[in-house]
Amino acid sequence: MSLADKITSLDSFLAWSVALEEEAADRHDELADMMDIHNNPEVTETFRKLAHYSRLHAQEIREHSIGRRLPVIAPWDFDWDTMEGPETADIGDVNYLMNTAHALKIAMGNEKRAHDFYYTISQESPDPEVRKLAGEFALEEKEHLELLEKWMEACSESAEEEIFDPDPPHMPE
Amino acid sequence: MNTEPEKVPIQVKPKDYKSAIKPVWCPGCGDFAVLNAITKALAYLGLPNEQVAFITGIGCSSRIAAYTSLYGFHGVHGRALALAGGLKAARKDLTVLVAGGDGDGLSIGGNHFIHACRRNMDMTYIIMDNEVYGMTKGQASPTTASDWTKSKLTPQGSGIRPFQPAGLALTSGASFIARGFTGDPNGLARMLVAAIKHKGFSFVQAMSPCPTFRPEQMNWKHQVKPFAEEPTADTIVAAQRIQADDGMSTGIIFKREYPVFQPGNGGGTHDVSLFESEFEI
Repeated sequence: MSLADKITSLDSFLAWSVALEEEAADRHDELADMMDIHNNPEVTETFRKLAHYSRLHAQEIREHSIGRRLPVIAPWDFDWDTMEGPETADIGDVNYLMNTAHALKIAMGNEKRAHDFYYTISQESPDPEVRKLAGEFALEEKEHLELLEKWMEACSESAEEEIFDPDPPHMPE
Repeated sequence: MNTEPEKVPIQVKPKDYKSAIKPVWCPGCGDFAVLNAITKALAYLGLPNEQVAFITGIGCSSRIAAYTSLYGFHGVHGRALALAGGLKAARKDLTVLVAGGDGDGLSIGGNHFIHACRRNMDMTYIIMDNEVYGMTKGQASPTTASDWTKSKLTPQGSGIRPFQPAGLALTSGASFIARGFTGDPNGLARMLVAAIKHKGFSFVQAMSPCPTFRPEQMNWKHQVKPFAEEPTADTIVAAQRIQADDGMSTGIIFKREYPVFQPGNGGGTHDVSLFESEFEI
């Protein structure tokens, strides 16, 4: 079943979109907490900023929902094409020694998947209102991606840098 | 005319079940996803925090109770199920969750595990299985493959065949057996909802990668797949399914109604003061 078949109305689309952004924000905060506990202040701040931007986007979508009653959907009933929401970073992709560029690379992947999600809906939904709004959200995600690319360019670190742990937790002999 | 606004049910959020304590697990640890799955399941069920008790053993994963706002008991190594059984016997009204790692649950607590399965008290036990003792810096556990050579303690591999937790639960008489994966926290949450709603002992093996001592497990997300079949109530079918599987299939494997063991079902009228008098100095 395609995404367009699963998302059958504007209310349904808004519910999916809010869930997408809120799950992404919660995950970014979770990653920030992980980095904070492991004394990586730069990456903590990066993930915290990313969480803030995701929340702003969620708020914007909620404003589109004023006066509407969005369906309440259980987390597992969203049936994303991915195991979690398309903008949700994979917990397994982080390391306590990662740098800001590594974090930005993860964020860019998230934004790209979110863009692709909205773009697909904008092209395939049978509902013209859904297509229009999904197109706007896809454009916004594209803008976010461009902003992240600029942030990455300004970053003094490299996402290709291999993580070196001078004091590895486990040293088999 | 009734001017009262329409009542909308108060929706609890998963974060309402999290405490202010931030997990100290390694970044990338699958246990974060177990925490998320549990809180999502509880929010979906709308269970009041004070009606849920979370009992854990010892180890990285057993810290989980502190990261929730439920009543928690970070117990003795391998004895989480014994503590939970005592609690459930005294307070059958509570929803009892139990969690721990593969070492805590299947080695130190192995005896408690098999008897908890056959006793069938109404509780949910989650083994957060990363096939290693993480807190003590990476030794082979009861679910570690026999040829895993990355531990200083067993540089040639342990040479001991690992337990198959689902199979062990089945032969021990568990009435609900499932295997989930932390890379799919929403799927794990759905599984936990079913486990908590199940009347009797529900066992969920949550495959939870350890990025520090078992970094190769980060590849599990490319290896897991759902069981092709629906849950069965037939022990023979379940046994065949478990034995034929490579250990990477997820889903509810077995579900059956067995009599639930609940002391006091006949009406408990114990006077606690009688017990207290036994301990007077």
